Amino acid sequence: MRTKLLGAALGVGLWLAAVPVVAHHSFAAEFDADKPFKLTGVVTKIEWQNPHTFFYLDITDERTKKVTNWAFEMGSPNGLMRNGWTRNTLKVGDVVTVEGSLARDGMPYGNARTVILTSTGKRLFAASSQGANP
Amino acid sequence: MMLWVRVAVAVMIAIAAAYYSAQAQGPEAARSVEATPRLADGTPNLGRVPGEKGVWDVPYIQNMGMRIPGPDGKTAAERANPGAARGGAKAEPDVPFLPWSRAIYDYNSRNNSKYDPEGYCLPPGGPRMMATPYPMEIIQQPEHKRVFMVFEGATHIWREIYMDGRAHPQGDELNPTYLGHSVGRWDGDALVVDVVGFNENTWLDYFGHPHTDLLHVVERFTRPNKATLHYEASIDDPGAYSRPWTVSWNIPWSAESELTEYICQENNKYLQKLTDDFGEPLLR
Repeated sequence: MRTKLLGAALGVGLWLAAVPVVAHHSFAAEFDADKPFKLTGVVTKIEWQNPHTFFYLDITDERTKKVTNWAFEMGSPNGLMRNGWTRNTLKVGDVVTVEGSLARDGMPYGNARTVILTSTGKRLFAASSQGANP
Repeated sequence: MMLWVRVAVAVMIAIAAAYYSAQAQGPEAARSVEATPRLADGTPNLGRVPGEKGVWDVPYIQNMGMRIPGPDGKTAAERANPGAARGGAKAEPDVPFLPWSRAIYDYNSRNNSKYDPEGYCLPPGGPRMMATPYPMEIIQQPEHKRVFMVFEGATHIWREIYMDGRAHPQGDELNPTYLGHSVGRWDGDALVVDVVGFNENTWLDYFGHPHTDLLHVVERFTRPNKATLHYEASIDDPGAYSRPWTVSWNIPWSAESELTEYICQENNKYLQKLTDDFGEPLLR
């Protein structure tokens, strides 16, 4: 599996177009909109819960082959369902690519904006808590 | 034809053309001019039409300082890009801060609203109820002389607005609460709601404009057409601001939506991880 961190190349402009679906806590206090990421890994756990759904990926570093378990925050189950998800959209063992913003504290943690299912190529909006005004 | 008549006709034609082209832009544009629904007695219906679905799609208004109508009736958010960076109190000359509220607001700006009560799964209070982006329904019960506002988020709350002409409780009978004590009346087609009795556990908005328990909010709800709820609120809090100030925005109707369950407290990792300014966990 590939680990790929894209730098500023992903562009901040794209983010600002995202429609805020939920706004439970401060996006900017926890995540850095200027630190976008794109990561691929295997789903190890899903917490389909309020106020935010979390899922966890085992991500293997391409160079060191070290596996790290990352956490990703999405919107609430309601927000996700309004965007076409169900509680079974992600399953343990699925391979997915996630795009979003990294946590400010440097931990293996991010706010997911889109989730792409590798098996089908389906791109799912993650009902990010990032507003138009981070 | 005299020149001014020709100009006037040209302007009218341009306005008419713009109007019809807006109408022709599709069902979305056409819906926006459907008439205000009304109850049998002619009172505006701020909720669903019988047999139909629909909720108010409350927008994400992050900064009330950008929603103050100016002399032209437009708010800063309507005049310019509402996505301006956080500039603290000095960027908001129209907000009549007192020195302490200015300092607290600047603190909340500097730490990106880290201590926003909504992040703790506490409810919004005052105008922020109409600025927290979760669906909301208004249910009128004229036979019971009351109006309910039911909010899916931020914490699955409802407001009861007494329409029976009662006054606010006085003195210690007025118990400070998150949502305050609301009494309403109709002023023509506007539902006017007077709210007092707020506790101090909420912020006015995500950006962190503070308020005290002296807060007195007067809200005006109008439905100029089926698709739009116009919201206006005067914020009068002599404990935090030197004079009253008014904010306003529109709330769009989402015709096919319904409310669903949202229990914020279920798994609030944000609060579990929150640290104070010294890096110590807030919850121990």
